Amino acid sequence: MAKYGGWAGKVLHVDLSAGRTWTEDTVENYKDYLGGTGIGYKVMWDEVPAGTKPYDPANRIIFAVGPLAGTGAPCNGRTAITTLWPTCWPKPLVATGHMGGQFAAKMKYAGYDAVVIKGRADRPVWLSIVDQQVEIQDASRLWGQGIRRTTEAIAQIMGTDAVVAAIGQAGENLVPMSVVMNSVSHSAGGIGSVMGSKNLKAIGVRGTGSVRIAGNKDEWEKLIKYHLSLLGANNQHVVPSSPQPWAEFYEPRSRWVGSKGRTWGAAPRPLETGTCEPHNLNRIAYRTNNAAFFNGDIAWQYTVRGNGCTSCPIRCHTMIKVPSVSAKYGIPEVGQNTCAGLNFGRSFFRTFPDGQRGMTNMEACMVGMHLADDLGIWCNYGQLQRDFQKLYYDGFIKDKLGEKEFKSYSWDKYEKGDPSFLFELFPRIASKEGELGTVLGLGTGYLLERWSMKEGAWGEDKEVAYWKMGHPKHHSTEEAGQCGLLINLQYNRDAQCHSHTNFIRNGLPLSVQKSLAAEIWGSPNAVDAIGAYTPMHPSKAKMAKWSLLRKELHDSLSLCNWMGPWVASPLKERGYRGDDSIESMLYSLATGDKKDRQELDRAAERIFVLHRALTIRDMGTKEMRTKHDLIPEWVFTDKSGKAPFTKGTTHMDRDDVKVAMDMFYDEMGWDRLTGAPTPQAYGKAGLDKVAEELGKRKLLP
Amino acid sequence: MIKAENVVEPKMVKEGEAAGRAIAAMIRQSSEASRLLSESEIHRRAADQHLLTSPAADPAEEVGNILKKVVEGSEDLHELASQDGSRHYYSSHFMTGAYARILLQKKGDQLRLIAETVRENCALYPRPVPLDIFTQPPFDLARQEVLEDLERMAAEEEYRDILPTTTSASRIFLYSTLHLEPEYASMLAEWLDVGQFNNP
Repeated sequence: MAKYGGWAGKVLHVDLSAGRTWTEDTVENYKDYLGGTGIGYKVMWDEVPAGTKPYDPANRIIFAVGPLAGTGAPCNGRTAITTLWPTCWPKPLVATGHMGGQFAAKMKYAGYDAVVIKGRADRPVWLSIVDQQVEIQDASRLWGQGIRRTTEAIAQIMGTDAVVAAIGQAGENLVPMSVVMNSVSHSAGGIGSVMGSKNLKAIGVRGTGSVRIAGNKDEWEKLIKYHLSLLGANNQHVVPSSPQPWAEFYEPRSRWVGSKGRTWGAAPRPLETGTCEPHNLNRIAYRTNNAAFFNGDIAWQYTVRGNGCTSCPIRCHTMIKVPSVSAKYGIPEVGQNTCAGLNFGRSFFRTFPDGQRGMTNMEACMVGMHLADDLGIWCNYGQLQRDFQKLYYDGFIKDKLGEKEFKSYSWDKYEKGDPSFLFELFPRIASKEGELGTVLGLGTGYLLERWSMKEGAWGEDKEVAYWKMGHPKHHSTEEAGQCGLLINLQYNRDAQCHSHTNFIRNGLPLSVQKSLAAEIWGSPNAVDAIGAYTPMHPSKAKMAKWSLLRKELHDSLSLCNWMGPWVASPLKERGYRGDDSIESMLYSLATGDKKDRQELDRAAERIFVLHRALTIRDMGTKEMRTKHDLIPEWVFTDKSGKAPFTKGTTHMDRDDVKVAMDMFYDEMGWDRLTGAPTPQAYGKAGLDKVAEELGKRKLLP
Repeated sequence: MIKAENVVEPKMVKEGEAAGRAIAAMIRQSSEASRLLSESEIHRRAADQHLLTSPAADPAEEVGNILKKVVEGSEDLHELASQDGSRHYYSSHFMTGAYARILLQKKGDQLRLIAETVRENCALYPRPVPLDIFTQPPFDLARQEVLEDLERMAAEEEYRDILPTTTSASRIFLYSTLHLEPEYASMLAEWLDVGQFNNP
């Protein structure tokens, strides 16, 4: 019997150029990197030299999961996908996407912790994985099809218990703004065209195995129930959105929207969500309805139910049935997704004829999901839509397109908020048709370059929410002050870190949040009220570090960072405390590799520092502070003229931000001047060989 | 999950023991149904069920004494006094004090209900409150009613601190100047209504 549980045991390698597959042992080669992004970064470091481009055959695309994927641990359905990022501007660098759904578990049941793909097939192919049987199959009849038809076709071949991750036409056509998608609505952005460049249409996985838990089964069961007891609603919001008999607190913008009188109106029999008392663990799935959260009460009547990832009780995807779209737009009545995916279509429009939360808004959501989730287009966390609005309303589209192409769009429909406009736009993006279709698919950085526009113009406009290197901000200064800023500096795409925002938006009063913050990060000064920021404090640097490390930990263990960490809970009897050791308890019991919270955080730090090393190596500079950790100008402005540290603004102070960066680098043990890890920092992270390699290239501070 | 009929009573004094148990059960059952129970209602039910034992005593005084002992002798039963002096009871096994206070305020003056809710939110979280929350349970007021209440409040000195702010999505939020400055309240309302939506 294997020494460790949790891990499936094998990493599958696929060389599409040679048509060859082989495996290596996960634990032997990657245990110190856990899984997920850890394996991804390690492979990129070891196998993909600096200077490689995203569509080169030498680029890898690594689908990896962690030891908790496919177990009963709540919220474990994430697959991390690591590669050179085609939208990263001006130079492609290593980044990751993530997808939920059922793919992660199936891959584990088939016996694999990761699939590493290199090369380029000489014709369209798809990868079939059925336990130990791995085959590169001909995809010539799938090429040119959307994600849905591809999924159905492969499921007919492999059986309906197979899970298919497929690209649509956007990925095939090497549109950088493209996704890979599994299980109907679970996508990873930015990846699709890398698969397309390899002529890889899809991966189908069927697994008949299981995941071994090393620890005592009764203890495991007890731990799972304990973890469930600490869960809130989506994004770990721990209070309901309206006063409830059981609740001391409430927050109108909480995602815990289930309550008496709120009903899944389109369920086969309308189903009331009820009061969703937190001790009733069988009603966790009724707490969240993201269709209603984003689109208002109108969405309840169209809600069929929640949906989501393997072993996740949250069900953050909402399945909605909107009968009017069938006759009006010729699309299926049922759609499902969450957050940016759910709002893909509606986010293009500034206005609708019947208001922001009326029927047309719902229809735009449906049309958007129908098109984007089949063509496989990525929104880059809404940047596509924000760019489109700015380009249109500021007159750039009219300037840059030829007259013929400009007139080929029904702009009157767009301005009126007619969702049918999307049928004109989305297929052109997916097929790079015309100048507009081409430029929108490039990603912001390359779009600006192609149209000879300065990045600074985007960096000055707060509404566009652009951050750097072709990507948007993601939970930055608008809600998390210096902590949010520091987090957004670190990556080569948007940060996708929710550790901090899950805490800040949990709905608890500020006094309770400060009390919890003092326990976790050493001082109540770690958190400020939104828009009432105070000067930088060492505890904010600790919070930023913790947030980043936990994000990497979740992405490596296969836990959902859109839910964790679980440091707050809905339980009044616990003082609303969660448990900061949940990850280490789950890891230790599942694998048998006993690590406490600090030890597991050190593994996470290894993974995070390796990502930093990749960035330094591939940029060819150690000057991270000045060349990579960049801040857009809008962060330092306020239209109303309010000064930093006054109530009512999120305007940051330049000197204070310098202090914040100093404190963060100190907290990480990195060099203040360059923002690069020192040899000691690499050593502490167990990355001596990485330091040696960087030293040879003169990339150490 | 606790059920009212399963709650084990702490030891009661002999006198009025049965009445005390029955009254405690009444309060718990009401709380389980998300309702406060008033002293006057308890008095009526006690009389209907022939719970009172002292023929010579004033029934109201007897109920009051039993209630005092019941509340003091249990950890989950609590008394709230409304503005008009009437007393109401709830069980914290089924309802938090915060929820009970909302139910109590609903029995009283509607302007006070809105004002106290807004003030509490602004002081505690701190944040302004969307007007629409008053149209939903447990407040269940008609929107037009709330708008008219706000007009009345604007004219009364006692409620001058309660002000509206409208977001760019045309939704009204309410705040108290006792706890939030106007510009800060506007910024928070915009964040809650529009900003969070644009930063999912």
